[in-house]
Amino acid sequence: MASIAPISTYFDFRRALTEKKLIGLWRMMADYRLAYAAANLSLAVSALAKMLTYILLRNFADTILGDALPFAGTLERTLIIIALGFVGLAIIEGGFSFVSGRLAAYSAEGITRRLRNFLFDHIQRLSFAYHSKTPTGDLIERVTSDVDSVRNFFNEQAIGIGRILFLFIINLAAIWQLSWKLALASIVVIPVILAVSLWFFKKVTKTYEKYQEQEAVLSTTLQENLTGVRVVKAFARQEYEKAKFEKDNWEKFLRGKTFLKMHSLFWPLSDILCGFQMLGGFIFAAILAINGKITVGTYPAYVGLVVWLIWPMRNLGRNIVQTSTGLVSYGRLMEIVKQEREPLTDGRVQAQGAVLSLSKDPVRGEIVFDKVSFQYEDGSAHVIKNVSFGIQPGGSVALLGSTGAGKTSLVNLLPRFHEYTDGHILLDGAELKDYPRQYLRRQIGIVEQEPFLFSRSIGENITYGVGRDVAQDEIEKAARAAAIHDVILTFPDGYKTLVGEKGVTLSGGQKQRVAIARTLLKNPRILIMDDSTSSVDTETEAEIRGALNGLMENRTTFIIAHRIQSVMNADLILVMDKGAVVQMGRHEELVAQDGMYRKIYDIQTRIDEELEDEIARAKDER
Amino acid sequence: MPDEILELEEEEHTSPLTAPTFKRIVGLLRPHWKWMAGFLAAIILTAAQDAIFTYVNKLMIDEGIVAKNVPVLLKYAAIYGGMQLLQAAFVFSFIYLAAVLGERIQYDLRKALFNHLQDLSLSYYSQNAVGRLMARVTSDTGRVSSLMTWGLLDVTWAVVSILMSTIFMLVINWRLGLIVFSIIPILIVIAVSFRKKILVEFRNSRRANSKITGEYNQNIQGVRVVKALGREDENLKEFSQLTDNMYRASYRAAWLSALFLPTVQIVSAFALGAIVWYGGMQAQIGLFTVGAIHAFVSYLTFMIWPVQDLARVYAEMQHSIASAERIFKLLDTEPEIRNRPEAFPAETMRGEIEFDHVDFYYEDRKPVLTDFTLKVKPGETIALVGPTGGGKTTIVNLLCRFYEPKAGVIRINGRDYSDYTLQSIHSHIGIVLQTPHLFSGSIRENIRYGRLEASNEDVEAAAKIAGAHEFIETFEKKYEQEVGEGGNLLSVGQKQLVSLARAVLARPEIFIMDEATSSVDTLTEALIQRGMEALMAGRTSFIIAHRLSTIRRADRIVVIEEGRVAETGTHAELLRNRGHYYRLYTQQFKFEKEQAYGVAVAEALPVIK
Repeated sequence: MASIAPISTYFDFRRALTEKKLIGLWRMMADYRLAYAAANLSLAVSALAKMLTYILLRNFADTILGDALPFAGTLERTLIIIALGFVGLAIIEGGFSFVSGRLAAYSAEGITRRLRNFLFDHIQRLSFAYHSKTPTGDLIERVTSDVDSVRNFFNEQAIGIGRILFLFIINLAAIWQLSWKLALASIVVIPVILAVSLWFFKKVTKTYEKYQEQEAVLSTTLQENLTGVRVVKAFARQEYEKAKFEKDNWEKFLRGKTFLKMHSLFWPLSDILCGFQMLGGFIFAAILAINGKITVGTYPAYVGLVVWLIWPMRNLGRNIVQTSTGLVSYGRLMEIVKQEREPLTDGRVQAQGAVLSLSKDPVRGEIVFDKVSFQYEDGSAHVIKNVSFGIQPGGSVALLGSTGAGKTSLVNLLPRFHEYTDGHILLDGAELKDYPRQYLRRQIGIVEQEPFLFSRSIGENITYGVGRDVAQDEIEKAARAAAIHDVILTFPDGYKTLVGEKGVTLSGGQKQRVAIARTLLKNPRILIMDDSTSSVDTETEAEIRGALNGLMENRTTFIIAHRIQSVMNADLILVMDKGAVVQMGRHEELVAQDGMYRKIYDIQTRIDEELEDEIARAKDER
Repeated sequence: MPDEILELEEEEHTSPLTAPTFKRIVGLLRPHWKWMAGFLAAIILTAAQDAIFTYVNKLMIDEGIVAKNVPVLLKYAAIYGGMQLLQAAFVFSFIYLAAVLGERIQYDLRKALFNHLQDLSLSYYSQNAVGRLMARVTSDTGRVSSLMTWGLLDVTWAVVSILMSTIFMLVINWRLGLIVFSIIPILIVIAVSFRKKILVEFRNSRRANSKITGEYNQNIQGVRVVKALGREDENLKEFSQLTDNMYRASYRAAWLSALFLPTVQIVSAFALGAIVWYGGMQAQIGLFTVGAIHAFVSYLTFMIWPVQDLARVYAEMQHSIASAERIFKLLDTEPEIRNRPEAFPAETMRGEIEFDHVDFYYEDRKPVLTDFTLKVKPGETIALVGPTGGGKTTIVNLLCRFYEPKAGVIRINGRDYSDYTLQSIHSHIGIVLQTPHLFSGSIRENIRYGRLEASNEDVEAAAKIAGAHEFIETFEKKYEQEVGEGGNLLSVGQKQLVSLARAVLARPEIFIMDEATSSVDTLTEALIQRGMEALMAGRTSFIIAHRLSTIRRADRIVVIEEGRVAETGTHAELLRNRGHYYRLYTQQFKFEKEQAYGVAVAEALPVIK
C-alpha cells in the first residue's frame, strides 16, 4: 500500500533457514508481518461487521413485531436508522474485507517477488561443483512450482485459515450471547465435518496428481508423434499411433472420472452433514423462540449467523492440506538456499589497501604454474597432475591432447571456476587464490568452441557482460573484426534479430564469432580459447582463424587445440595426457625431438600426399 | 517456454459466437445429449430447491415460530430435511454428469484432432509449429469442453437462481421484489467489468511468469558464461524487472478480486436499506412479516454468487469460442497429399525409379528443385552430395511422397507413383533420419516399430544385422531398457543404431538414409557403417552422404547444387573431372583425416612417456 514505506525487493532467505518448517515460513514473512497482522485484524473487523448486521436484523425484526423501539423516536426514524445501519455495516464489512485482501496480496506477492529474486541470484552464485551435479530441470521445477506453492501459502492459507477462524469465533460468540445452549447445539457436527474434509482433500490431492501424471504422459505421446511425423509416415504407422494415443487418452479419461467421482460424492455428502446440523439448530432455536427464551427476531438472526459458522469449516480442511504442501515446498527450496555461495569479492591481493580496480590495476598477465594438481573431491582421481610451466605477459600457451586429457580442467583453474588442490599458480607474482574472483574473471576472456548464446538480440549478445555502455558503431567494429558483421546484416532485423527459437538459429562457427566480438569489446588481459573448429567450409575457417589471430594480439593466451595447425605459432606447447604434461616446448623444438608431437606433425603433412595418391588411383581406374 | 508464450498469444484472441460455430459446438454435444439433459435437469432442480429452502424457512418463521405452532414447525422442518436429502442427490448428479461429460468431450475432441493430424501432410507440419499443434490438442480442447459443461452449468444455475429468487420475492411482496430486481442489472454490469479487468491482469501475470521461467532456464544453462563474464549483478537487475512486472500484474489481479465482492455487497446493502425502510413501513399494515425479512435478506445475500458466475462465463466465453474455431479449422484442413480415387496398392517397388523433369518449391517463387531428372536402376545405391540447402532432403521427401512434384512426374516401376496408395509406398520404404527419432518406451518397442508383428527373435536378429545388439546387451535390462523421452537416455550413435535396426526389421525395398553430420566415436561409427552396408545390399538405396566411406561405396554419386544435378558419375569419374565433387571431396578428406589422426594421437600418447 502506498502509505507503507517501500520494502526492499531483495531479502536474504538464508536467514529463513531452519529445520522447523513453520518457523521457516514465519521468518520468510519478515518485514511483512505487520501487514499480515493488519490484514488479519481487518478480517476480524469485517467479520464483526457481518455479525452485527445480523444483530441489527434481529432489532429490525423485533421492531416491526412491535415489541419495543430499540432507538428513541418514531417508527419511521427508527427504520431509517436501521436502514442506514445496514448500509454502514456493509461499507465497514466490505471496506475491511477489501483492505485485508489487498494487504494479503501485497504481502504474498512481495514475499514471492523477493523469493524469486533471491533464488535467481543465489543460483547464479553457486559454485560450478554444484551446477555440474544438479540437473537444470530439477532446479527449474523447484524455482517454479515450489515457489508457487509457497506463494499460495502466503496468499491463501496464511490469511484463509485466519478468516475461517475469525468467522467461527465471532459468530459463535454472538450465538453464545443469544443462548449458550444454542451455540453448543450448533457446532456438534463440526469436528466430523473437519475430519471428513481433511480426509477427503488429502485423498483427492493424490488422485489429482495421478490424473496430472497421465496428462503429462499424454502430452509426451502427442509431442513425440508430432515431432516424429516423418518417421510415423515413413513407416506408415498412423493406425498404430492412433491406437497408442487412444490408450493414453482413454486412461486419462478414466483417471479424470475417478477424480471427479470423488468430488461428486464429497460435496453432496458434506452438504447433508452441514444441512442437518443447520436444521437441528433451526429447530432448537425455533423452540426457544416459541417458548419465549429468545425473541422472535433473534431466530432469523441466528439463521444468518449459523451459516457462517458451519460452511467455512469444509474449507478449513482444504487449507490445512494445502499448508502441508507449502511446507514440503519450503523444504525443497531450502535445499537450494542452504548451498554455499562462491565468494566473488573476497581476496587478499589489493592495491594500496583498497579494492582492486580494473581501470587502475589491470593484471600484466604473467602466469606461472608450479607443481599444480587438481582433483574434484578428496579421494577422487587427479584431473591435473603436477603441472609446471611459465608464460610471459602477452605470450601464448597451446594445449594439445585428446578429449579427457585435462586441457579444459586446466584452463578452468585460471578464472577460479575450480580451485587447484596442490601447488601454486602465480599471476603477476601473486597467488591466484588471493585474487578476488570477480576481479579475476573480468581480466579473463573465454571463447568456447560453441558458446552459449542467450535468447536476446545479437547486439545484446555481443555486449553481454562487457560491463559498460557500448555505442552501436563500436559493436559493429567488433563484429567486423570478428568476421560476423556481414552475416548479421543478412538477418531480418540486423543486430536487433533475436537469437534462438523465436529468431535465428546460429551455426556453431557463427556463435563462436559472436563470442569473439564480445571478447574484443571486453578487452581482457588473459584469453582462453577453444580452437577445435568443427566441420566448416575452408572459407569460413580462414575467416575464423583471422578473427582469432586478431584477438590474441597483446594478450596472454591459452589455446585448447586438437590440431597442429592451431598450435604451431604458440610460444609454448603443452602436450597433455591424463592430466599430465608429457611434452613441452616450442614447435621447432618439439618437431626436432623424437616424440609424439613429431608423429602428429608428420601425419598431418602426409594427408596431402594421401589425397594425391587417391586421385592418382582414380585416374588409373579409367 | 516459447511454446507457452505462443499459447498465451493465442489466448488473447477472442471471437463472438457465430451461428455456424454454435451449430458445430452443439453438434459435439449431440451424441451425449442424455448426459447433458441429465446435468441440466439436475442443476435446474438444485437451483430451484436452493430458492425453496429459503421460502420454507420463511414459512417456518411465520407459521411456526411467530404463530407459536410447534406441529407446523416440525412439519416444515421435516420438509426441509427431506429436501436436503433430495438436494444431495441433485448435487451428486450434476457434478458427476457434467464432470464426466466434460472429460468425455475432451477425450472425443483430442481423439478426433489426433487422428486427423495423422492424415495431414508434411506440408501442414512445416507450416505449423509443434507448440501450436500441441496447444490445439491440449489446452484448446480443455477450454471448449469446460465451456460446454461447467460454463453451461454455471449459466443455467445462475439464471434459474436469479429467476426463482425473483419469483419468490415478487410472490412475498411484489413492491420490494421490484426493488431487488432493479439492482440485478447493475450487479451484472459491475461483475462483468471486474471480470474482464481481472482476466487481463491474470494473463499479464501468466506472461510474466513464463518469461521468468525462461530467464531462470537460460541463466542456469548459461551459468558458465555468466560467471566468466561476471555478469551476476546486471542479471539480477534485469531479472528483478521481470519479477516487478509479475508483482504488478498479480498484485493488481489479487486486489481487484478483493474489491469485487465488497463492491457488490455494498450495492446490495443499499437495496437492503430500501427494503428495511419501505418494508418496515408496510409491516405496520401487516404486509411484511419476519419470515419475509429473513427471505429477502437471504435472497439478496446469495444473489452475489449467480451474478459472479454469469460474469465469469461471459468473460471467458469469447476465448473459448476462439479455441473452438481453431479446433474446427484444424479438423477442416484437408490433407494435401491423398490417395487418388483410383489408386491401388503397389505390390513391389523393386523396379526402376525415375524423376522425370521434376520441379518443386515449398513457397511460391522460391524454387528448390528445378527440372530435376534422375533414373535409378533396381538395386542401385545413389549417394546424394552437395552443400546444405541444395535440395538433397527435398529429393528424399518427394521420393517418400511426403510432398508431390509441382511439375514433372516421379515413376516407380514405370508408373506415376501417385497411382499407388500412400500406404503401400510407405510400407516398402525404410528410412533412417539424420537426427534419429525414437519414441518413449523400451528399445524392443522402438525396433519393433519397423514391423509390428515381428517376433522377439526377429527384433534381435535385426539388431544384430544393424550392429545394435552389442551395446543393447550391455544394458542391465537389455532390450527392455527404456530409451526415455525422444530417446534421450541413449547417445546419438546408439539412437542411430536403434533406428537402423528398426529400418532393417521393416524389410524395405527402398532404403533411404540421411547420414548424420555429428561425429560419434569411432567404434560406433564403424558399427553404423556396417549396418548401412547390410541395409543397402540388394536394395535400391538413396543416401544423403557426408562420409567418404559411404560416398565411395555408392554405385553412383549425384552432386546437387541449387536444386539441379551439378554432376553425376562414379567416384573415380567425378574425381577425374576436378569439378564440384573434387572440391567437396578434398575438403572432407582433409577434415576426416585430421579427425582420424586426432584419435590416433590420443590412443598413441601413453607410449611416449
